[in-house]
Amino acid sequence: MIGNVRTWSKLGRRQIIRCKSLLESRDFSTGLNGPAPPLKSSFNQPPLSKPPANLEKAIYAEHKSGDRQETTQITTLPNGLRVASENKFGQFCTIGVIIETGSRYEVAYPSGVSHFLEKLAFSGTAEYKDKDKILLALEKDGGICDCLGSRDTCIYASSADRRGYDTVVKILGEAVLRPRLETDEIAAAAQYIKFELENLMTRPEQESILMDMIHAAAYKDNTLGLPRICPPQNVDKIDRDVLISFLKTHYCPSRMVVAGVGIEHERLVESVQKYFVDSPPMWGTDRSKVRVDNSLAQYTGGIVKEECHIPLHLGPSNLPELAHVVIGLEGCSHSDPDFIAMCVLGVMMGGGGSFSAGGPGKGMYSRLYTNVLNRYHWMFSATAYNQTYSDTGLFYIHASAPPSHVKNIVDVLTNEMSAMAGDVDDEELRRAKTQLQSMILMNLEARPVLFEDIARQVIATGQRKLPSGFIKDIENISAGDIKRASVRLLRSQPSVAARGDIRHLPNLHEIQAGLSDKQPVSRSRKLSLFS
Amino acid sequence: MASRLIAGGALKYLAGPMGINKIPKRFRATSAHLSEVLVNCPPTKTTTLNNGMRIATEDTGDLTATIGLWIDAGSRCENESNNGVAHFLEHMAFKGTSKRSQVDLELEVENMGAHLNAYTSREQTVFYAKCLKQDVPKALEILSDILQNSKLGENEIERERGVILREMQEVETNLQEVVFDHLHATAFQGTPLGRTILGPTQNIKSISRNDLVEYIKTYYKPSRMVLAGAGGVDHNELVKLAEQHFGKAERGEITADPSLLGSIRYTGSEIRVRDDAMPLAHVAIAVEGAGWESADNIPLMIANTLIGAWDRSQGGGLNNSSKLALACTQDNLAHSFQSFNTCYKDTGLWGIYLVAQTLSLDDLVWNVQQEWMRLCTSVSQAEIDRAKNVLKSNMFLQLDGTTAICEDIGRQMLCYGRRIPLHELESRINSITAQNVQDVMMQYVYDKCPAVAAVGPVEGLPDYTRIRANMYWLRV
Repeated sequence: MIGNVRTWSKLGRRQIIRCKSLLESRDFSTGLNGPAPPLKSSFNQPPLSKPPANLEKAIYAEHKSGDRQETTQITTLPNGLRVASENKFGQFCTIGVIIETGSRYEVAYPSGVSHFLEKLAFSGTAEYKDKDKILLALEKDGGICDCLGSRDTCIYASSADRRGYDTVVKILGEAVLRPRLETDEIAAAAQYIKFELENLMTRPEQESILMDMIHAAAYKDNTLGLPRICPPQNVDKIDRDVLISFLKTHYCPSRMVVAGVGIEHERLVESVQKYFVDSPPMWGTDRSKVRVDNSLAQYTGGIVKEECHIPLHLGPSNLPELAHVVIGLEGCSHSDPDFIAMCVLGVMMGGGGSFSAGGPGKGMYSRLYTNVLNRYHWMFSATAYNQTYSDTGLFYIHASAPPSHVKNIVDVLTNEMSAMAGDVDDEELRRAKTQLQSMILMNLEARPVLFEDIARQVIATGQRKLPSGFIKDIENISAGDIKRASVRLLRSQPSVAARGDIRHLPNLHEIQAGLSDKQPVSRSRKLSLFS
Repeated sequence: MASRLIAGGALKYLAGPMGINKIPKRFRATSAHLSEVLVNCPPTKTTTLNNGMRIATEDTGDLTATIGLWIDAGSRCENESNNGVAHFLEHMAFKGTSKRSQVDLELEVENMGAHLNAYTSREQTVFYAKCLKQDVPKALEILSDILQNSKLGENEIERERGVILREMQEVETNLQEVVFDHLHATAFQGTPLGRTILGPTQNIKSISRNDLVEYIKTYYKPSRMVLAGAGGVDHNELVKLAEQHFGKAERGEITADPSLLGSIRYTGSEIRVRDDAMPLAHVAIAVEGAGWESADNIPLMIANTLIGAWDRSQGGGLNNSSKLALACTQDNLAHSFQSFNTCYKDTGLWGIYLVAQTLSLDDLVWNVQQEWMRLCTSVSQAEIDRAKNVLKSNMFLQLDGTTAICEDIGRQMLCYGRRIPLHELESRINSITAQNVQDVMMQYVYDKCPAVAAVGPVEGLPDYTRIRANMYWLRV
């Protein structure tokens, strides 16, 4: 071993010598002629391990345990806009706007409008000529901004030094209510979407495509079933008029909440009044001709398949090509009494990848691990999800395996799903409850998550339930609640999405039969008769 | 277990070695006396036990907490025949101790709703737990148990070989990691930093219990460890608990690693793995950067921020402040790029990672190098001021949540022997001028031999001599 190292350095030295004769002063390598001389810094600062001599004395804001306050203040402005905030320890604030919009409202528009608006967020506005001007203004207060769209909401948010809050609110007001939407900006957005679609099609990760597919299967041709990803044929169809009309319809004060974390409520309200109420939106405030699609989501169930080639992982790994199957059931909305039980059920099912990073704590004793991933070596991944919306929900399991096992995936998943209505072990219930509780608290550590939680709750219910409330509700969930929720899930028509080489996929009837056949006989049937 | 590199630094292109909460700016001194600044976050408290173990905490009063052990040991401490042992140990840690079996350990953690995690980098090994505030004592007991009483059963070792080989397969799906491993292999050829963290297949198949025990004996010593905590963690209580669980451990000799310091040699060189079947070329170009402690890191990171990171589908290209992003957007030169500054004790790698089609590689690399040369010779103060602001927000904003803060404390304690106070870091960044950046770029980048690693259809990548020739401008 040492010999080898020597050989290397000899070789290196020979190269260097040759090189030196040619180039005089240039070195390929460092440290060949003894240790390199200590690097001298070209400016006058001590190393990072030593404090500079004339450093100012710091007065720290010491935390006293137990003084953490959790209160969300909410104000409704005269035009119907709601403002919610929570003050938090720390030098940064996160402020943002959540809007009831998204692909579920696109029935009268070409699909993909929301996708375009997400890409166009924080482009030029009435006051800021282009995105660069916005970034420049934000950077002065150490800020960043982002826009995130989902099926039923869109969030524009920014984090910055808390003393820069007024600028932040101003930029948000500009970005949400007064975008310019110049032709070249729209053309650029179309280009980015094309790139994104291309990326989606060439990457082995299938999650976002499958999300669209399972929603399309569950809510056929209505609301939540409309695609979130802009279909390729619409990329060049969407123009300024369409965008403005969509904005005018959905970006109105009553469908909006401005939320802030790490800011005093009165100041936030004051700024919001200035930039969201006193300055009107570019499309005016006349809403006489505006009609919003308020239809409720209709769960239909069904199957959406795409036989195609799934890109392999690049590089030297020899991972096989995978086929993906998602099986979903109708869940419940977040105001439903079964909501918490379904969340606990989701954690209890758990799952993940057959090979995944992380030690204990990632749910390795959840059912999809113990009953599926640990048992069937061919299963590549199996994960349970519980998506909830204001009027409905979707509970689904996504699994992937080599194409020859497509039928086995379906068998295993239907088995696990029908077993949900069976007996619940006390220990596994306790574990799922504790994990859900700690998950909530751990996620809320991060300011942007806290912001999103406040914003989503206030837009959905008009108020915010504190984490302690959820912790208590979770604590109260019993095995009976889980069973009731499971039986309710299993009563629905299944939704199925599958992508890849899926020649061996059973048809919808077989899948449905698989789910109901295996239902534990007595309990569930009885319950469904009498409840 | 697998997250070997991400936290190790190669990919922390912007965050650099540290990140800290923000402090008020305008409390600057007007008189010549020492002034005071308000720092709106809790101080980092440190204590050293008699056996040399350091404990550092930041009590933010959260309902949750992260605590962990940062150990001054990584794949750099290995030699050719035991390369991979540090990472192997990280896997064995969760396989049971003399007190608890693997299943007991897993259930105990899962039932608490806690997370246990570990990663190995070239210089550091880290074990940490994230849990509810009231479970901190239990979590520390578990951490101390897996570190000091690991069973290292022969059967488990055999089984783990397969798991690690599988992990290797996973890592190889991540081309960025593959390219960075090649970059280290060529830039630090023939030295410990050139080896991979996982080790070669042959070693994974042959590492014995004895190798593991030997490594623990040498490196898992209190004098090499930092116990860091953030969130709902009381400093005095944690010190007491540490005394209880680690107080009896022997100090350990710090001089036990001849493989460190002095043996690292950077070599400007290249490695190309041409595979025309892949759709995109993945390329890293770097020069030798500065070690952790060097103050030059600040201007280097500002230069890094100025070049930035970009992805063609993220939008904003035309309005991005980075000139390179602008060039990429206008001429569709790349799919993405990221500048990086990876630090080690006595050296570093400063450069850029590119993903592009083979036909645009020539133009792309030319643009990158033009930008580097511009930074060496003529970057303006306005650009630098802007990059400084962006750097500060990137650093300060990422420190959100107990795990990020705890990681920052642990890493800094090992790298700098202290945690750099917020206001100090901010004043260091604020003080940098365009001239400082030019000077440092001249020192590290201008007319230096780069290390190049490329994987994929790399036919279009300019020859090494051409890349080398663009590391200087004849006109200056």
